[in-house]
Amino acid sequence: MTGYTIGVFLLVIVFSLVYFGLAHRVLDRLYLNDRTAMALIVAMIVGSFINIPLTGGRVVTSINVGGALIPLGLAVYILYRAGTTREVGRALLGAVITAVVLFGITYITRGREAWNVYALNLLDPLYYYPLVAGFVAYLVGRSRRAAFVGAILGVLLLDIADLIFYLRLGLRGTVAFGGAGIIDATFMAAVVAVLLAELIGEVRERMQGGPELAGHSRSLLAGLKGPALKRKPVDLNPADVNEGGPKDKGGEGNE
Amino acid sequence: MSKANRSWRIWGGLGLLVVALVLVGVAHIWSRQQGTAVRVFNLAELLPGNHTTGQYSILVDEQGRVLDMMARRIYIHDEFISADNRRYRVIRIEGNKGICREIGRERISLDGNQVPTMAGRIASGGGIAPVQAAGSQIVGVYNSHDDESYVPSDGSESIPGNGGVLRVGSAFADHLRSLGLTVIHDTTSHAPHDDGAYRRSRRTAMSLMQKGAAALFDIHRDGVPDPTFYRRTINGQDVTMVRLVVGRENQNMSANLDYAKRLKAAADARYPGLIRGIFIGAGSYNQDLSPRAMLLEVGTHTNTLQEAQRGVTLFADVVPPVLGVAARPAAARTPSTAADWKGVLYVLLAFVIGGGAFLLISAGSWKKAVARLKQFTSIEWVNLLGWQRLRKPGVDRNKKTGREREAVELAPVPHQELEANDERADWQKD
Repeated sequence: MTGYTIGVFLLVIVFSLVYFGLAHRVLDRLYLNDRTAMALIVAMIVGSFINIPLTGGRVVTSINVGGALIPLGLAVYILYRAGTTREVGRALLGAVITAVVLFGITYITRGREAWNVYALNLLDPLYYYPLVAGFVAYLVGRSRRAAFVGAILGVLLLDIADLIFYLRLGLRGTVAFGGAGIIDATFMAAVVAVLLAELIGEVRERMQGGPELAGHSRSLLAGLKGPALKRKPVDLNPADVNEGGPKDKGGEGNE
Repeated sequence: MSKANRSWRIWGGLGLLVVALVLVGVAHIWSRQQGTAVRVFNLAELLPGNHTTGQYSILVDEQGRVLDMMARRIYIHDEFISADNRRYRVIRIEGNKGICREIGRERISLDGNQVPTMAGRIASGGGIAPVQAAGSQIVGVYNSHDDESYVPSDGSESIPGNGGVLRVGSAFADHLRSLGLTVIHDTTSHAPHDDGAYRRSRRTAMSLMQKGAAALFDIHRDGVPDPTFYRRTINGQDVTMVRLVVGRENQNMSANLDYAKRLKAAADARYPGLIRGIFIGAGSYNQDLSPRAMLLEVGTHTNTLQEAQRGVTLFADVVPPVLGVAARPAAARTPSTAADWKGVLYVLLAFVIGGGAFLLISAGSWKKAVARLKQFTSIEWVNLLGWQRLRKPGVDRNKKTGREREAVELAPVPHQELEANDERADWQKD
């Protein structure tokens, strides 16, 4: 390719390695094992080149396999695998709140450069989407999986808002769901959102001096084998541990 | 206990939110009463408006001389390179004025006299189309803000889906084609003109790259009211100047800034006065997609479309030599620049620092962090390696005799033997 020499190539390669590495680690936390996560990354990279046209004419719509179809499938799978209806509800609520907040930002920036609205020009939309998705998911569900679902569905809902905008105003327009493939805002938001939820969770856990043990079922706590837990089982009152019961499946950053 | 804890958390969160809102309100009223030049927060900004123009910033030096104007909010630490290659940094904001200090002079004569001679040769050749070198030489052109228009010619400053800037893009693409490049001009609409425009245009940019575009140009126009600020007479014709914009919020920033400097140097050599300057702003502008992605602002909304088209056509002349697709075979590739390597270093550095900080926080101490890192390298990838090992002939674990399988299935696994898996579960606790 024109002008692409070793320095540029290396820059692109290193960035891809870091990004795909992070994406792999993120998928690894979503009821998937290493192999499936790797297979999905490969499928998404290949799928990035496949656009399935949905409608033509004035408003062109299409869905990208790697950028929207697979992430959407994953989000649905996460909801399906979720332990309780409450968890599903929280994830969906998180997605709706994410979409509403993002649409609100879009609405107040309409008709002007994003950088002319206070503070929004400090951060590219590409980066505050996942920040919003990750933060909302953490507030609503305190869950990395909810962060993933929230980011994917949140950005896809924004695209649907675009579609409604074009149809209502009779403008020509293109809605390419996940059109940029694996580096579309959709999946990129999900990756950063999950990492952010993890970061908030870990910082908070660290600040409170280890995972919260009270009020969670024994089966959940069994999954915690961290040093923080090992240090203090003597402090535990067994009655406290069982108090929450199985319906209280949400752990502190352990969902 | 947990219930009380939870409700405390919810009320605490709500309380914080209310306090934050009250503080915002107080700050707003206070700043209005003070009448300070620097407005902390303006609620009017939060109302939906329909103007992409009219609000603009003036960049002045410490003596008050106007250096530059642009229709975007300026922040402290924003930098720009002026037409005469002085690099400034905004050190103070007063109203819509950014007070700048010169922080150096860019030496962007571009590898000695390479480009001037190259440009001279093309010029003396009298419009000879450069021979296309081997390999793909596709340039992608698109418009993130396809509504931007030129009022004297288009009648409006904003025509969603059909702005004048699309025709500026066409003029640019046509001229590049006449110089022997393959150009894909994607006129996909990314309306409305909001913060989502780059999310939409990202898809267009990506599809251009998938079609083999080695360089991307996103064509815009500015919104400064004064048309003469962008108007110049070059080679006897009225043209608009072109501003190059580099987003600093991505890993390709230094590579793209270097690329911008090369474009400017080439243009300065051939058409002095054509380049308004290089602005290094907050944002990414999809420049994370490629180290050869550039945002151009061609004139302002009060210029005519024809002026803008002539300006961008002149600019197109200097693109092939900078991309290294001029007639000279030796110039068939842009050399790797120090900035490209700097980009690589930054990505690695960011990864190491960010990852390290996260590891420290989540592990709690340096010692534990190191232990975790060891665990990460040995355990996190164990499944993948195991997968490969499994595929090797002779290590097929499924080949077990019936008796062996029975033994494996029935034997209760002592707790201690699960250590590796437990550690993995701990690391990956989901």
